[in-house]
Amino acid sequence: MSPTGCSHVNGYKVDNWKQNLRVIYQCFVWSSTAETRRRKVLQGDAGRTEMAKSCICHMCGAHLNRLHSCLYCVFFGCFAKKHIHEHAKNKRHNLAVDLLYGGIYCFVCQDYIYDKEMEQIAKEEQRKAWKLQGVGEKYTTWEPSKRELELLRHNPKRRRITTNCTIGLRGLINLGNTCFMNCIVQALTHTPLLRDFFLSDRHKCEMQSNSCLVCEMSQLFQEFYSGHRSPHVPFRLLHLVWTHARHLAGYEQQDAHEFLIAALDVLHRHCKGDAIRENDNGKKANNPNHCNCIIDQIFTGGLQSDVTCQVCHGVSTTIDPFWDISLDLPGSSTPFWPLSPGGGGGGGTTVNGECHPSGSTTLTDCLRRFTRPEHLGSGAKIKCGGCHSYQESTKQLTMKRLPIVACFHLKRFEHSAKLRRKITTYVSFPLELDMTPFMASSKESRMNGQYQQAADVLNNDNKYSLFAVVNHQGTLESGHYTSFIRQHKDQWFKCDDAVITKASMKDVLDSEGYLLFYHKQFLEYE
Amino acid sequence: MSKDSQMRAAINQKLIEMGERERLKELLRAKLVECGWKDQLKAHCKDVIREKGLDHVTVEDLVNEITPKGRALVPDSVKKELLQRIRAFLAQHAAL
Repeated sequence: MSPTGCSHVNGYKVDNWKQNLRVIYQCFVWSSTAETRRRKVLQGDAGRTEMAKSCICHMCGAHLNRLHSCLYCVFFGCFAKKHIHEHAKNKRHNLAVDLLYGGIYCFVCQDYIYDKEMEQIAKEEQRKAWKLQGVGEKYTTWEPSKRELELLRHNPKRRRITTNCTIGLRGLINLGNTCFMNCIVQALTHTPLLRDFFLSDRHKCEMQSNSCLVCEMSQLFQEFYSGHRSPHVPFRLLHLVWTHARHLAGYEQQDAHEFLIAALDVLHRHCKGDAIRENDNGKKANNPNHCNCIIDQIFTGGLQSDVTCQVCHGVSTTIDPFWDISLDLPGSSTPFWPLSPGGGGGGGTTVNGECHPSGSTTLTDCLRRFTRPEHLGSGAKIKCGGCHSYQESTKQLTMKRLPIVACFHLKRFEHSAKLRRKITTYVSFPLELDMTPFMASSKESRMNGQYQQAADVLNNDNKYSLFAVVNHQGTLESGHYTSFIRQHKDQWFKCDDAVITKASMKDVLDSEGYLLFYHKQFLEYE
Repeated sequence: MSKDSQMRAAINQKLIEMGERERLKELLRAKLVECGWKDQLKAHCKDVIREKGLDHVTVEDLVNEITPKGRALVPDSVKKELLQRIRAFLAQHAAL
């Protein structure tokens, strides 16, 4: 099985062989358009004038049995029943192509052979077919480039990832009330797309000084996936955060949510170099609203705000980017129930499979409240473009575009004028979350009278899986942050600064929940 | 050709023409990866290769070793689902 093919192909590689081979691949192997599909069934390719009825065996008429096409003439034969072998022997046509997978078989070598040039043609035709079908790029297995082969040879040490492997898990030393930072670091280092970005060295730094936070993150990922089990001391990260987000400096306990937003902001700003590179056509790459950096690709969603004038019913819509959704909780000074004007709160429906012991609030309840229409009241009239005067209106928020990673922030810390306290109401959250009911598109369908169709259940675009939870124990004055993170699809670990312990799903779902990180279940390649 | 295989061929032609065959292939592919079938067979392939030796094994060897196991390991639920899809398709395009 030599990668350089066999010598018997040389007899084939004469005249216009490349074009002939392409036609075979286009018409019979990777048939893409309706035209070629029909041709596959009805007639032979245009290049050959012989009559070819259809893609069935010329000897027995079957279409299963691993049909092969002779490369030298128009003949289809079963492989399993050896019909193509007979043809090869009789006509001395030594090469045939497997119509199912495109492999080239040599009857002299009696095996499939791999000829670089022929493989190249096969691959190109397959890509073309995918493009015509509208499939775009499909997943293909990795083939190392020359440089990569070199690197692999120079670095022979390999690490094997098994299902019980704990690589990627590492404790973080608390440098003085830095548990708020440690939890966010745990969540970020276990965000799959972010991890893939950093481990494949995709950051090309443009900053002159040593203060690039993205570079530091890259270092952090190296530390986490190094296989070392001793806790890591993130003093450089802490220092960089203090440098770039002054308001977080100092040894006081900070808010983990604030840290998350500040960290994403700095990373986003420092990713400028990567973003510019991605946008070759000279677009405004450093426009903060049109950035294509990894942070934006993963975390940025679009929140739609519709303001409806109560008089003329004109709707004014704006869409704002967001990195997280902050949700009010029952027990705060703003009333939680009912979820929609006109009553009907306190749910009884189980959306997203959450089981709530009577009375307990769910994440879905919070999201419903977040996306409910809200009367803005006579004290907050908006200037209506249709009426040209100030009118009462309702405002409603829905999701226009969902990020790949959705972060929900339960507003447990109340800082109103009257009091400062922590709301400890238990909110149950699910492992799998379907965001469809909260999308702007769903709202439009509802308004047009179309209720959730059965087809929506098949729509996988809005399905999310929980992968990290940040919890706060204690009071507003003194508390401690810990986190749960998911490894290997169904294994959870509790990260308490330097101590990592195995956790059960129950532990995770029973926890109070402060920051909830969900990851899209199905990703599409662009 | 027996009546059975005639019918098979006709159905196959229709499936190809309407692009349904490709869709079914994709569905099947996804289901078999999901239920771990692909991984199981991959492991079996590796065993066969190890047994026969990398320099001597041919595709034929692998096909002969894997085919029976592969057929047996397809979950019933997957078979049912595909059958249902094909039935539904035929019901829709009943001009056969």
